[in-house]
Amino acid sequence: MTTEIKERIPSPIGESKPRLENDQKVTGAAIFADDIQFGNSLLYARIMHSPHPHALIKSIDTSKAEALPGVKAVVTGADFPGYLGLYLQDRHIFCRDRVRYVGDPVLGVAATSEEIAVKALDLIDVEYEVLEPVLNAEEGAKPDAPLIHPDLGNYKVANFIFPQPGTNISNHFKLRKGDVDGAWEKCSTIVERKFWVPHIQHVPIEPHTAIAQWDETGEITLWASSQSPFAQRNLLAQALGVSQSSVRVIAPKIGGGFGCKAGISMEALVVAIASKTNGRPVKLLLTREEEFHTAFVRQELIAYYKMGCDENGKILAMENTYYWGGGASTEYGVNVTRAAGYSCTGPYEVPNVKADSLCVYTNHPVGGAYRGFGMPEMHTGLEQCVDELAYKAGIDPVDIRSINCVKEGCETVTGFKMHPTGLSQCIEETAKAIQWGQKSPASAPNKRRGKGTAIMWKAPAMPPNAGSSAWVELAEDGTVNVGLGGQDLGQGAFTVMAQMAAAALGVPYESVRISSPVDTRYSPYEWQTVASRLTWSMGNAVVAAATDARRQVLDLVSEAWDEDPEDLDIRDGIVVSYKSEQEQPIKDIVVYGLPKPDDQGWLGGPIIGRGKFMPSYVTGLDAETGQGTRSVVHYTTGSQSVEVEVDLDTGCVEVLRGVSAFDVGRAINPALVEAQIEGGFVQGMSSALFEEMIMVDGFMQNPSFVDYRIATTTDAPSDLQSIIVEVPQDDGPWGARGIGEHPMVPTVAAIANAIYDAVGIRMMSPPFSAEKVYLAMLEAGIVE
Amino acid sequence: MLDPHPSLPEFDYIKPKTLAEASQFLADHAGEARPLLGGTDIFVRMRDGFWKDQYLVDVKGLDGTNEISFDPAKGLTIGAGVSMNRVSAHPDVKVHYAVLAEAVDSVASYQLRSRATIVGNICNASPAGDTIGACILLGGVLNVHGLDGKRQEPLSTFFKGPGSTVLKAGDVVVSIELPLPPKGLQGTYLKLGRNKSSDLSIVGVTAIGYPDADTVSGYRVKVALASVAPTPLVVDKVEEIMAAKPITEDVIAEAAEAAFETASPIDDVRGGAKYRKLMSRNLSKKALTVVWEKLGR
Repeated sequence: MTTEIKERIPSPIGESKPRLENDQKVTGAAIFADDIQFGNSLLYARIMHSPHPHALIKSIDTSKAEALPGVKAVVTGADFPGYLGLYLQDRHIFCRDRVRYVGDPVLGVAATSEEIAVKALDLIDVEYEVLEPVLNAEEGAKPDAPLIHPDLGNYKVANFIFPQPGTNISNHFKLRKGDVDGAWEKCSTIVERKFWVPHIQHVPIEPHTAIAQWDETGEITLWASSQSPFAQRNLLAQALGVSQSSVRVIAPKIGGGFGCKAGISMEALVVAIASKTNGRPVKLLLTREEEFHTAFVRQELIAYYKMGCDENGKILAMENTYYWGGGASTEYGVNVTRAAGYSCTGPYEVPNVKADSLCVYTNHPVGGAYRGFGMPEMHTGLEQCVDELAYKAGIDPVDIRSINCVKEGCETVTGFKMHPTGLSQCIEETAKAIQWGQKSPASAPNKRRGKGTAIMWKAPAMPPNAGSSAWVELAEDGTVNVGLGGQDLGQGAFTVMAQMAAAALGVPYESVRISSPVDTRYSPYEWQTVASRLTWSMGNAVVAAATDARRQVLDLVSEAWDEDPEDLDIRDGIVVSYKSEQEQPIKDIVVYGLPKPDDQGWLGGPIIGRGKFMPSYVTGLDAETGQGTRSVVHYTTGSQSVEVEVDLDTGCVEVLRGVSAFDVGRAINPALVEAQIEGGFVQGMSSALFEEMIMVDGFMQNPSFVDYRIATTTDAPSDLQSIIVEVPQDDGPWGARGIGEHPMVPTVAAIANAIYDAVGIRMMSPPFSAEKVYLAMLEAGIVE
Repeated sequence: MLDPHPSLPEFDYIKPKTLAEASQFLADHAGEARPLLGGTDIFVRMRDGFWKDQYLVDVKGLDGTNEISFDPAKGLTIGAGVSMNRVSAHPDVKVHYAVLAEAVDSVASYQLRSRATIVGNICNASPAGDTIGACILLGGVLNVHGLDGKRQEPLSTFFKGPGSTVLKAGDVVVSIELPLPPKGLQGTYLKLGRNKSSDLSIVGVTAIGYPDADTVSGYRVKVALASVAPTPLVVDKVEEIMAAKPITEDVIAEAAEAAFETASPIDDVRGGAKYRKLMSRNLSKKALTVVWEKLGR
C-alpha cells in the first residue's frame, strides 16, 4: 500500500547527468562577453577612479582629452543625475560631487583604441578637497563620525530597509524576542566574544566585461558577463530614466560570479558612455586590479556575541551586535545585513534574543552579494562561541548542537514555525564520518591534529515577491526548447532545468535544449541568479511550463483519439494510452497537430507551455522586534566537520579532511550537488586560511593574485566527503531546495574550532594565516 | 596600484646579433634600456608602471646564453636564457646540484618556470629569490659581458641591495658557472609561502653540508636566507658554529639562533618582521636537521 502511494520520481530526477556546457567549455568553443566581435566600430572605454577614500570633487577639466584625436566621448557624473540601487538607491553612475572610496568612478572615456583611452585619462585634471574617511564600521556608526552620505534621508529605499538619516547607518535591523536581561541569571555558562571578519573578494577568473550600444532610436543593448540580466535591465532603466523595454541585456557564458556579477556595477558606466558615441558600441573590460579596487567586495563584519546556556546545555539567550562595513554604497548590502538580522541566532532555537544588525557606510569598496550573503561572516564567530560554550559547560560540541538546533515545528528567532529539516541528521552524519571524539596521530612530532564542527542555516535573501517564469516549446523532431531567464554560472542550473523539463514532460533528457544565451528581449523574466534560488524557484517555473505543455499534448491526443486524458501518458517522448494501447511519438503531434477522429479537419497546432512561480506567503517583520509570521521562504541547513593539522614550527594549518552534510530536500543531480559542496568547502577554506583585502587608510595593499592568495588544488584536502540529506521542501520541485551558497557558510568556523581542538587557541579573525596562528601560539606559550 | 596599464605600455624590442652590439646598445641607452630574458618579472613591472624602459634588449640566444653544460672536471655552466624547467630537468643537475633543482622547483608555477631563468632571478636581485641561496652557497660566478669585454663576478659580492647589483650599464650576464660540488654534498631548500604553491617566500632557507676533515665537527655546513634582509643573506655564523664542535641537536639550535640574530627583515604584506625572524630560526633548524640527517647524522 505505502509503495503504491509513494510519489513516483520520474527519470532523470536524481540522476547525475553531465553538465550541458561541458564540451563547449573544455574545447574553448564557449562564447564569453569578451569573445563577441563588433568589428571596426567598437570603441574602448577606460575609467578614471578616485585616488582618495573620501573627497569632494571641486573641478574636472576634460578639454585636453576631448581634443585628443581618437577620443569619441568623455562622460562625467554631470551628465547622469539618476540614482542606482537594488534595495537603496544611494549611488550615481559616475560620482557627481563626492568620491567615497579609492576606485570610485569619476569619469569615463571612449576612444578608438585602449591606448588612446589611456592617454586621454592622463590629460584630464580633477581637483579634489580631501575629507576625513571612515575606515571602520563600528567607528562609522558613532554619532560624531564623518558623514559619507549626507543625503541618506532622501534616497529611495525598499520598505523593509531602515536607514537612519544623519548617520552612516543605512539599515538597522532590530530583533527583540523574550526577555534577554532576565535570562542571563538562569544561565550556568555564558560566553562573550568579539570577532572581526575582513573584506574579501569573489575573484572570478573572468573579470567583469560589458559592451553597450545605444542605437539611433534610443534602444540600449548591453552584453555583459552577468548573473542578473533582468535586474540590470530594471536598474539601468531607473537610473537613466528610460523604460525597461528600451533596455535589452544579453548574458553570454560567464566565467564565475559568486555574487559579484549580481545587481549592477560597472555595466552602468559603459552604458552611460555609450549614450555619447552616436550608436558605436563601447567595451569595458576590467583589469584584475580594477576588479579588486572597483568591483563588489564582501562586506566586513565586526561582531559581538553573548550567549548562555543552562547546565543541560540548552541555550537560553543570545545578544548579538553586528556592525557591517558596507563600503561606499550599500544599495545591495543593506539586505545582507537584514538577512543577518532575521537569521541572527544561527540554526538554533533560542527563546530570548536581542540582536542589532547595522549596515554602516565606510570609505571602502562597495559591498555586494557574496556567496552566502552574510551567513559565512556571521557564522564565523557565532559557531566558535557555541563551541566555546560547549567546552565551558562541559558538553560535547556536537551534542550542544544536536540539543539546540532547529527542528521541525520549533519557533525560529523571527517567530516562524520551522518547516521539516534534516539538520539533526546532518550533524549526526558529519560527526560519524569524521570519527568525532577520536584523536588521530599527527604526521610528525612537531605537528598537532584537531577536529572541529560547525553547523549552519541560510534562507534565500530576496524581496518577498521575487519571481521566475519559463516557457517550453516543442519542435518537429520532438526536441524540447526551454526558455528561461536565470543564468548558468557553472553551478549547473541549465542542466538541472533540462532534467526537470524532461521529467515533467516525459521526454528523454537528451532531447531538451536550454534557450541561451539569456536575452531579456526573448527570454522569460527571472529576478536574479542569486540566493541559491534557481533550482527551487526557476525550477518550479520550468516544471509548470513543462506540465502545461504536457497537458496541451494530452488534451489534444485525448480529443483526437477520443480517450480520457487520465488514461494517457507521455513516456520517453511517446504518447501512450494505457487503455487502448495506442502510441505515437510526440514529434508527430506537437507542431502539425492531429487529424480529427473523423478525419474531417485537424486539431491542435504548435505547442508552447508556460509557467511561473512567485512565493506568495512571505510576510513583513515588525520594525522594532523583527517578529512576523513567515520571514523567509525556507532555510537550507547543514553541518561540516573538518580535521586539521597545525605545524608548531611555522603555524601552517593544513586541512586534512572535510566532511559536509546538507539537507537539499531532493538532489535533482547528485553529482552537481556534490560539486557545489566541494567547491563551497574549498572557497570557505580559502577564506579561512588565505583571503583578505588588506586595507590601510582606505587603500587596498594587495590588489593582485601575487598577494591576494586563494586556495589552489594543492591546498585543498584530497579527502572531501559530501553527504546528501533529503528532507523534502513542500513547495520545491520534487522537494528540492538550494545548495549553491551554503557549503561555504560553516567552513571558517569549523576550521577555527579544529584549530582550537589541535592547539587550544581561539582565532578571532580570519584568515588564519601561518603567521597569525604562530604568533597566537607564541602568545599562549605553546611555542617559543 | 589602482590603475595599471591595461596591457603592456609601448616599448621597442631590440634583438642584437652579438654580445658586443647588446652591450653597446645598453650603454648608449643607460636608464632606458634593459636586457630581456624570460620576461616574467620585466613585463609585470612594466605593466605596473614601476619600470618605464623604452627598450628591451633580448639577449637570449646570444653567444652561450642558450646552453647548459656539465664538465666533470670543471662543473656546471647555465646560460642566461636557459629556462628554470630546463635546469631542474637536466640529469647532471639532478645528480650533482640537487639542492639547486629543489630550489628551482619551488619558484612560482611550472608554467612560469618554462620562461623564467636563474640568471634573471639573480639579476633582479630580489631578496626573495628562491634560487639565489643555492647559487651563492655552491660558489656561483657570473660571466658578464660589458663594454670592456668579458669579466667574472662572484655572487658573494654581487648584491648591493633590493634590486641593486654591481652590474653597470652595458653589462649583460651571459651565464652562471657553478664549480664542481664538494664530495658528499647534501642540501635542502625550505620555502615558507602563504599557501602551498605559486607563492613568493615569506622566508626561504637554503642549507648545504659536506664532509670536511679540516673542521672539528668533520663537516662544512652553510645556510643562506631569503626574504629576511635587503639582499640574499649568507649566515657566516652558522658555518662557524657547525664547524667548531661535533654536531648535536643543541649545536643546530645554536646555529639556528645565529640565523635569528642575523636576519633583519621588514614588515610587508607577505609577513611581519617578527614572524620572519622567528621563521629564520625555525626553518634554519629544520633545514640543518635535514642536511645533518642526509649526511648520516
